[in-house]
Amino acid sequence: MTYVKNRLRRTMMFVPGNNPAMVKDAGIYGADSIMLDLEDAVSLTEKDAARMLVFKAIKTVDFGGAEIVVRINGQDTPFYDQDVKAMVRAGVDVIRLPKTESAAMIKKLVADMEKAEEEYGIQKDSIGVMAAIESAKGVLNAPEIATATPLMMGLAVSGEDYTADMHTHRYPDGRELEFARNMVLQAARAADVYAFDTVFSNMNDTEGFYRETKYIYELGYDGKSLVNPRQIPMVNKVFNPTKEEIENALSVQNAIQEAKAKGSGVISMNGKMVDKPVVEKANRVIETAKASNLIDEEGNYIGE
Amino acid sequence: MDKTIELNLNFPDTKTRWENFLINQGITDFSSREVDVLDHSIGLIDEDGHLVGTGSIAGKVLKYIAVSNDEAVHGARFNQIVSALQEYLFGQKIYHSFVFTKAKYSSSFAHLGFNELAHTDTAAFLESGTPSIQDFLAKMPRIKNQNQKEVAAIVMNANPFTLGHQKLVQLASSENDLVYVFVVATDASLFKTSERMDLVKKGTANFNNVVVVSGGDYLVSRSTFPAYFLKSPDELITTQTAIDALIFKNIIAPELTIKKRYLGTEPFSRTTNFYNQSLQKILSPTIEVKIVQRFRDNEKIITATNVRQLIKNSDLKDISTLVPPTTMNFINDNYQILQERIKKGMNIDGN
Amino acid sequence: MEIKTVGVAGTLESSDIQIMISAGQNGIEVDLDSEVAKSYGDQIKKVITETLNKFGITNAKVKATDKGALDCVIAARTLAAAQRATETTDQPRLEVLQ
Repeated sequence: MTYVKNRLRRTMMFVPGNNPAMVKDAGIYGADSIMLDLEDAVSLTEKDAARMLVFKAIKTVDFGGAEIVVRINGQDTPFYDQDVKAMVRAGVDVIRLPKTESAAMIKKLVADMEKAEEEYGIQKDSIGVMAAIESAKGVLNAPEIATATPLMMGLAVSGEDYTADMHTHRYPDGRELEFARNMVLQAARAADVYAFDTVFSNMNDTEGFYRETKYIYELGYDGKSLVNPRQIPMVNKVFNPTKEEIENALSVQNAIQEAKAKGSGVISMNGKMVDKPVVEKANRVIETAKASNLIDEEGNYIGE
Repeated sequence: MDKTIELNLNFPDTKTRWENFLINQGITDFSSREVDVLDHSIGLIDEDGHLVGTGSIAGKVLKYIAVSNDEAVHGARFNQIVSALQEYLFGQKIYHSFVFTKAKYSSSFAHLGFNELAHTDTAAFLESGTPSIQDFLAKMPRIKNQNQKEVAAIVMNANPFTLGHQKLVQLASSENDLVYVFVVATDASLFKTSERMDLVKKGTANFNNVVVVSGGDYLVSRSTFPAYFLKSPDELITTQTAIDALIFKNIIAPELTIKKRYLGTEPFSRTTNFYNQSLQKILSPTIEVKIVQRFRDNEKIITATNVRQLIKNSDLKDISTLVPPTTMNFINDNYQILQERIKKGMNIDGN
Repeated sequence: MEIKTVGVAGTLESSDIQIMISAGQNGIEVDLDSEVAKSYGDQIKKVITETLNKFGITNAKVKATDKGALDCVIAARTLAAAQRATETTDQPRLEVLQ
């Protein structure tokens, strides 16, 4: 496995790192990214065993092409050093640092990863990092965190710890998270990295889940963290482009092809120049549409 | 997935919630005898926050295990509870655990690697982990061609070792090739386990066909027979004495080729009387049970209960007629320590 | 490697295996409890034995309670139990799993 900076990351499914049943089946639900957790989901007495299980699973289990992210234990814990070493040795795609509050913390992580890469003969820069933003300080420092390393894959808002730090807790309408969501998203976009929204844990409130997912999609988030595989198709449904968006994206791609055929450096559509963000958006739409089987290999719309 | 949480039964709300759940599952005994000994309790919480399973630990014994069965995968909650309880025990460096359960649940525990040691019509007793009863027996001293010899056993708490005990051992020694004296291992008596063990060894040193060994977890221990140490209703004593007797009959005696068990009559202890009756009923005729009348000192019955009473009353002179010199020396040397233990609340009326 | 204490890892939950290692004298003795012992017992014991040998343990008593674990889970749990039994948890020997 090798880290790919740009790919589809609508769903990031959390999987407890010490649960073999869940680890082994994690690949069958079609999550774009799987986050194997060594932190909160693992009790203090089982950190060593979970690390070994995750290490071996990364090397042997078929995760169905999903990106593998591992949430290691924080830098203030005695488990951090061994977690970093083990995950570098395992060749994970991305290491997620919890409770990130500064660029220095990410720089330390990258330095520790480099040391481990050297020690175990792993190719340098082959593993990405992501930062979980879980405190007021982390939110305010999101811009420097997002730009701390070229290996930064993305930022994730972690609502539970953040709201606790803010002396509140989570409410159905999500107003308490408004600032953090916007700040993290801005920082991510400005640094050209991905942005992930927090988990929604009330499995019985389907309506609330759709409301929140639609909201963060409209804000511009790339994906959402999930605790239950049942939420994957729900997120995908929200993130699916409309027929019009797909047709428009196909036209943009068509224009690119035409420009290439003509040997022209300028892409034009309907007599107007097509800018880079438009091209990128079109690519994302097509990629998402393909992943959700809304278009066939030839690019024909086959959705309902 | 259900979440495992710690249940703090010191919180009245938590305790009520726990009791209500168990009552719904058909468990209703919340006497302090059962509940006060719990070291740790856990609960399983489903996605809606409902309590859907519980389990507790008392020493090395799993207790109060119950799960609601409205679950997606049959047995998953039970496995999760037992795993979580064992994880707690392992954290305490306890790798050997027991469970008393209804006979019908024995197979559920067997599926989790528990080994059934005994069962009655209603109850079953199982162990898990290491060292197992086989490890316990493998360490027992043996003699040459033991299976062709007359081998007998005596189980005693010896709190402390008296002339009565000594005469019982002497009788067994004269009638057999080898006598195992199993000393109760649970530390819940005025004389500590190491002290009792030592006094039995010293008091039987003259009999060269007698070996003194610990009863471990299997002979009148807090795990197999908690009612021996705590006042309990008859029904509980009956079940526990039956389990204790069955383990001896089916596992311990065959392995050590024990053919006889010697018992002293116990005029003062109701629990011991129950135990003796139970042993007689269950062991014979496979194992010969020899009940020996208490030895007397000038018409006065010699019992350890008596000795303890005399220690409490500072009647040291009278003790010397009830115990061998080895025990007497120990009492003389440790008289103040013993009295202090009594003052601190050590019960001397029990066993 | 010297076994200093009882080492246990893994749970009794589905797809897991609980491995309990204690000192022994007669090579690796595996006492396996598994619903699939008939078809996979030998394979499970082989993974446990190989993992322990690779780690450097040649004498041990192993009690294994299997709930349908894959080989990778068996190896990971065996190593975790072995490191706990030898009190070397702070030096994870992940190469054993490679």
